[in-house]
Amino acid sequence: MIFALIIGMGLLVFLNRYAFLEPRLPLRLSSNARQFLGFAVPGMLTAICGPIIFLPGHQLDLSLANPYLLGSVVAVVLVLLTRSTLISMLVSMAFFFVFRWWLNGNP
Amino acid sequence: MSSPPFARQAFIQGAIAILPLSLAVAPWGLLAGSMAIEADLTPWEGQGLSAIVFAGAAQLVAIGMIKGGANLFSILLTTLLLTSQHLLYGLSMRPVLSGLPTRWRLGLGFLLTDEFFALTSQYDQQQFNRWYALGVGLTFYIAWNLFTLAGIILGQNIPHLDQLGLDFSIVATFVALIAPLVRNLPTVVCVAVSLFSSVLFSFWHWETGLVAAGLLGMSAGFICQKFSGARA
Repeated sequence: MIFALIIGMGLLVFLNRYAFLEPRLPLRLSSNARQFLGFAVPGMLTAICGPIIFLPGHQLDLSLANPYLLGSVVAVVLVLLTRSTLISMLVSMAFFFVFRWWLNGNP
Repeated sequence: MSSPPFARQAFIQGAIAILPLSLAVAPWGLLAGSMAIEADLTPWEGQGLSAIVFAGAAQLVAIGMIKGGANLFSILLTTLLLTSQHLLYGLSMRPVLSGLPTRWRLGLGFLLTDEFFALTSQYDQQQFNRWYALGVGLTFYIAWNLFTLAGIILGQNIPHLDQLGLDFSIVATFVALIAPLVRNLPTVVCVAVSLFSSVLFSFWHWETGLVAAGLLGMSAGFICQKFSGARA
């Protein structure tokens, strides 16, 4: 079951990668389609992050004492300052663990 | 052009060029492996994701959705949408790659990741070397799979990895990927609409809400861009 899913995912990803490398394909993406797809990364990635940040453990938490929210703010500031995905990711994770320990009183 | 000594040299040059990015992907790979184990996938399934799908964001999201009990269709639709930027990479590299023999097209097409595109898209038809591109793509593929394997082993031997708040590393990574993209009003609108609707749909326990929220955000950004373009 999972392997059927993995193969399905593999085929879809390969389809996206290979589609326009096929010389027999006369199609081109319209300018509108390209503009729409240009929002795929921010749109989809944000939709994935949103519930993890604001509904940790499936409970709505809109308070400022939410370590996921504080960690995300740190990540935004760091990546804009350093322009390094790797540094921002590692340092904001460290901050997240400190916030979580500090706000919850358990590691 | 592809006589053996030159081919080998170009392949090695490509492998060296991708080395820093191959190392930078280590946390992602470790995460992809350990998250698969956390979500009760077998080691073979975890490694299979990296070997067959070979798309970090799509893998992590699929693992999260499997864990959350999402249905097959919504996972596949999310995969299709999440990796749709590759259509643009393919279109951009069409002049260089579409003229190659079928096995090269299929092989380099499979290896066409964000990182591969970043390193090889700058070359025109004269400068492009298929062996250099193969060195870039294959090295990154091997690194990704080795780090996934390391993550699978760690995930199996260190209990309660899911209690460590590793899910925040998805947030940390995605936030770091999204924030630099937010440079104009349409993207701000896209992110805001997507964020608001994803939290709302999740609060409503709407199963396919994730895809819908992403599409809403993309549509809002696109519409906003159309309006601002019309005014300019």
